[in-house]
Amino acid sequence: MTLLVLPLAVVWLGAAALALLDGRRRSVGWAAVAVLGANVAGLVALGARVAEDGRQELVTGNWPRGVGITLAADELGILFAVLSSAVLLVALLYEVLAGVRSRTFPSLVLFMAAGLTGLFLTGDLFNFFVFFELSMIPAYVLSVYGEQARRKIGAAFIFAVVNLLGSFIFLISVAGTYHVTGTLEMRDAAERLADAEPASVMLIAVGVFVAFGVKLGLFPFHFWLPPIYVGATPAVAAILSGALANIGAYGLLRFGAALLPAELELGARALVVIGSVSILYGAMQALSRRDVREVLAYSAIGQAGYILVALAVGGRVGFFAAVVYAVVNSANKALLFLAAGLRGWLVGAAFVVGAFSVAGVPPSAGFFGKVAIFQAGVAEESIALLVLLFVGGALSFVYMFQIYQHAFWRPEAAAGAGDASPAVLRGLTLGLAAVIVAIGIWPEPLLALSGGAADLLAGAAGGGPR
Amino acid sequence: MILLFSGVVAVLFGTGAFLMLKADLFRVVVGMVMISNAAILTLIGSGLSRGAAPIHPLPDDRLSDPLVQAMALTAIVIGFGVTALLLAIAYRVYTSHESVDLDELSREEVRRERELEREEISP
Repeated sequence: MTLLVLPLAVVWLGAAALALLDGRRRSVGWAAVAVLGANVAGLVALGARVAEDGRQELVTGNWPRGVGITLAADELGILFAVLSSAVLLVALLYEVLAGVRSRTFPSLVLFMAAGLTGLFLTGDLFNFFVFFELSMIPAYVLSVYGEQARRKIGAAFIFAVVNLLGSFIFLISVAGTYHVTGTLEMRDAAERLADAEPASVMLIAVGVFVAFGVKLGLFPFHFWLPPIYVGATPAVAAILSGALANIGAYGLLRFGAALLPAELELGARALVVIGSVSILYGAMQALSRRDVREVLAYSAIGQAGYILVALAVGGRVGFFAAVVYAVVNSANKALLFLAAGLRGWLVGAAFVVGAFSVAGVPPSAGFFGKVAIFQAGVAEESIALLVLLFVGGALSFVYMFQIYQHAFWRPEAAAGAGDASPAVLRGLTLGLAAVIVAIGIWPEPLLALSGGAADLLAGAAGGGPR
Repeated sequence: MILLFSGVVAVLFGTGAFLMLKADLFRVVVGMVMISNAAILTLIGSGLSRGAAPIHPLPDDRLSDPLVQAMALTAIVIGFGVTALLLAIAYRVYTSHESVDLDELSREEVRRERELEREEISP
């Protein structure tokens, strides 16, 4: 049980302590890496426990269940928690090795890790909102990190306002859930929402969808995303797209599939349409851009569409695809954003692994994401959906390699970029690429955990395998 | 009472949304504050019982729902924090661009993009 509190407590206290120190000093940076490493290790240990014994639960303050705030770890939560903390760790390591440029950077990353860990491990609706804000606020500050803050500040303001609006809409949905069900405990709420009046639950569902759609950068809510990703430094872009965007995917899965399954099914058609538009819009925009980070930003919008489509297909196949795809996508984006900021020998190789993974070419991890998505498309028995998935995949192949050529093969690009980046940074990026290939070669742990998460969601949805 | 509450929430949210569509940064911040307060009022309004403050409850007292009050308090603190952050960002925009007008900022953005494109094409 302490295992449930420890990762959260370590990183939270560490963040508070390091906030007082100058993060530009190397020792402080490494202390932050150590704290975050402890957090990841604790989460992995907790994950092993979950895989063995199933869901772990703890009611804080020894209150009876239903009164105190619940912390809970199940397959879905722990998978996203480990993933997000690991991405944060890689990004923090990258920035510490490259040289931290602001005194607050390490502690902000730790605060975000605390928020994300808590968010994925909470079983309480309002607590979810609190951790949600705790992880978003560092993101608003981090989005102006690095040089040329003057040029980024306008985009950061829009980022903050749009996401805050999403947060408060989510808060209104939480209030609505409490009023309808009389509880904030997620599992009790899920049971009682099933019997509640459909009209009011639908309103709650729409609020939740808007909140997480904004966070994930789905098509109609995406406009804040490209300027932020383009302006951010490589490490921050990796954090935003690899760790923070997980909130959107996790929120849609947790709330859509586990809490509001009937509403998810009712809105499935609309979600497929929004997801498809997202896929096509992201791919088309990415195809027309020349700047690596701009391509990646629009690609992120398109990839979010796949997750939504898989979620809308539903059932075990659909949820499985959504989980696998979300995990793989976040690793890909972290790798690509980090590699895009580097120059020199073997960086192209790391980038190309990420590009293969986005396009879904074996033996990269992305292959299994694409397979799962296609399985969901087959389960839906819709030719149109399969065609769309194929076209989307082909387009992603085209834009990834177009930008790869543009960034790494042109002699001017190679010459104009100046000296090669430090070897440690290239090594780190290559290591991340190796992990993605390793997942592609030995995908069983990921598939088993995602399968567990999908069983859980499909069980909650009452659907079973379709 | 609930009708009055929902009316107030609707007006607050609507006014906030209207202000957020303005180009002036500080109006956007004020709009954000109004929307956050609309959310907090919704929280209060979602309470399940009404009555006296639950400080020292006697057995036959009717009490107001303490949980929504705790949530509202937390939400107020969070709202206060993010408002401070938004104001700080808006102030930074003002000091670096000497303008708080979003239209002007985006015009500057477009101008810079054009320059970049020209540089890309010309050499």
